[in-house]
Amino acid sequence: MTEKVISLIEEVLDVPRGTITEDTRIEDVEEWGSLEHVAIIGELEEKLGIAVPLEESLEIESVRELLDMCENCG
Amino acid sequence: MNEKKLALLSNVNMDFVVRQLQKSVKVYRTEGYGNELGIMMNQSSSYHAFGPDITFLVMDLMELIEHELDPAAAKQRVERWFAVVSDILEPNIIYYISDGYLWGPELEVLSDAGQKARLEHIWQDALEELSGKHSNVRIFPYRRMIEKLGEKNAFSMKMWYMGRILLSNEAQRTLGELILHWAEVEGRVSKKVLLLDLDNTLWGGLAGEKEHTPIQLSEEHVGLAYKNLQRVIWQMRKDGVLLGIVSKNNDADAMEIVTNHPHMVLRPEDFSARRINWSPKHENIREIAAELNLGEDSFVFWDDNPAERQLVKEMLPMVTVPEFPDRPEELAQAMGEIYRQYFAKAQVTEEDAARAAQYAANAERSHLAKTTGSFEEYLKELKMSAVRVNPKEHVERFCQLLNKTNQFNLTTRRYTQGQAAMLLEDNRKRIYMYQVSDRFGDNGIVVVIVVDCAGDIPMVEDFVMSCRVMGRNIEDALMTEVEADVRAGGYEYLRGKYIPTAKNTPVAGLYDRLGYKRVCEKQGEVEYELRLANTPGRMYYITIKQEGAE
Repeated sequence: MTEKVISLIEEVLDVPRGTITEDTRIEDVEEWGSLEHVAIIGELEEKLGIAVPLEESLEIESVRELLDMCENCG
Repeated sequence: MNEKKLALLSNVNMDFVVRQLQKSVKVYRTEGYGNELGIMMNQSSSYHAFGPDITFLVMDLMELIEHELDPAAAKQRVERWFAVVSDILEPNIIYYISDGYLWGPELEVLSDAGQKARLEHIWQDALEELSGKHSNVRIFPYRRMIEKLGEKNAFSMKMWYMGRILLSNEAQRTLGELILHWAEVEGRVSKKVLLLDLDNTLWGGLAGEKEHTPIQLSEEHVGLAYKNLQRVIWQMRKDGVLLGIVSKNNDADAMEIVTNHPHMVLRPEDFSARRINWSPKHENIREIAAELNLGEDSFVFWDDNPAERQLVKEMLPMVTVPEFPDRPEELAQAMGEIYRQYFAKAQVTEEDAARAAQYAANAERSHLAKTTGSFEEYLKELKMSAVRVNPKEHVERFCQLLNKTNQFNLTTRRYTQGQAAMLLEDNRKRIYMYQVSDRFGDNGIVVVIVVDCAGDIPMVEDFVMSCRVMGRNIEDALMTEVEADVRAGGYEYLRGKYIPTAKNTPVAGLYDRLGYKRVCEKQGEVEYELRLANTPGRMYYITIKQEGAE
């Protein structure tokens, strides 16, 4: 699951494989703007069936937090 | 792909669709959304500087009518929108305006099932009237796209709440493809003639073997699949596609079916040319081309037999030879695709032209409210106001704006929470943060300007604005405020800086426009200066209030 989520993120951000890791913080990724963030949350639901709740979606600051969220929602 | 320049304007966030389009065509980098009229009206907007050949206006009807489901009130809003658009159409731009699809959570509990359709009709009528009057206005089949995807797949409430993105990622991709398709249709010459084989193409089985195995063409099973294919082709003929038969059969056997079979939809008079014989098909096609006096590039040839297709492809490379589906149930759909790819016409049809004449005659009774349609009027009517807020009370938003704003961001400096906290405590910095409202409601805190006063000449080191309020000359008003405040602080000059990135081209000329002089340029970075006593007059319509003041 972790791998799937990370490669989905990399695809949306259009960055090379390996750019995103579990330790990545969102604010450190230039390409990860608010719009991309919406697209990632949308793709998680459309492609992987993971529905991260709205409020949590807006508060997530790191990939680890996002993965934790996916665990709980998947 | 053709070299046409496209613009996509909307009242919802379409930034992702724009980015997708950017990969294959020249497309206008939209300044936010919801300001489509302002952008088109403002002759000095970046939209006009870009100079699109085709402008797609993909509008969300619910946002446009502001959730006003009373038909009379909704009608007013729709007609006002069309009245403005009608006034600002440019003759050298082709416009594709989406047809109406109304979607919103409250529709689920509408007791009157017809109301949704009535509201959509209001839009449709106004759109048809506009496209009837102007040959450069076309209807963009947005509605069909939503219907095909289904509401559940097409819309995303969560993405709407998060970022005013109405369409799901899937729907955004589909929309992008649809836009590319129509842009391509606009640039190409469409095919004129569809040449068809008969056996296993227009019907199942072989003509002339009636005694043993009758052909499949009926109202059920496989026969219905062929009949539906014929229905699609018949509709194409009605819309002006010429049909021809190129088939290896005994003419009498084949024509007996075409003329008399009870389930034939296409009849002899529907075909403009006919070659039913045993000659090689490419020879027959050449003859038909000569007979109809058309170039071979006007023809599409469709045959179930791959060998025949291959031969025609090799002998007549100008003729288009699409693939043939494996299964009868895919036939009708495949023909629809062929129509879209090769025959669909962007130009208005004769029927449209007739309607245009009718509208011209009725021009007097036009019921659309007249508006002046100027950008100024538009800005005035927005009734915008800005309130300066205390950044220390909005640290999170402060960071968010500086770190997540890409387009309207002059220097693109990013801050960690810690750096931001230090910045807010630094008394050598003057920090301006504004909340903006308009007649449609509150846009939230959308502007941050940081002026560093540590040196002799103060410098605007950060200047960001959320894309949702771009293109309304808000920056003109707020910079005038900032300049006045800096001047009141005893300074004579103010400097600003533009550092280009991949995304902030919309503000490349901002300081020039605001009347600043270039003092220094290196590696794309431009430093500007304004003598505060010489602050130029600027056009803006926004009231500025202090926090807490009424």
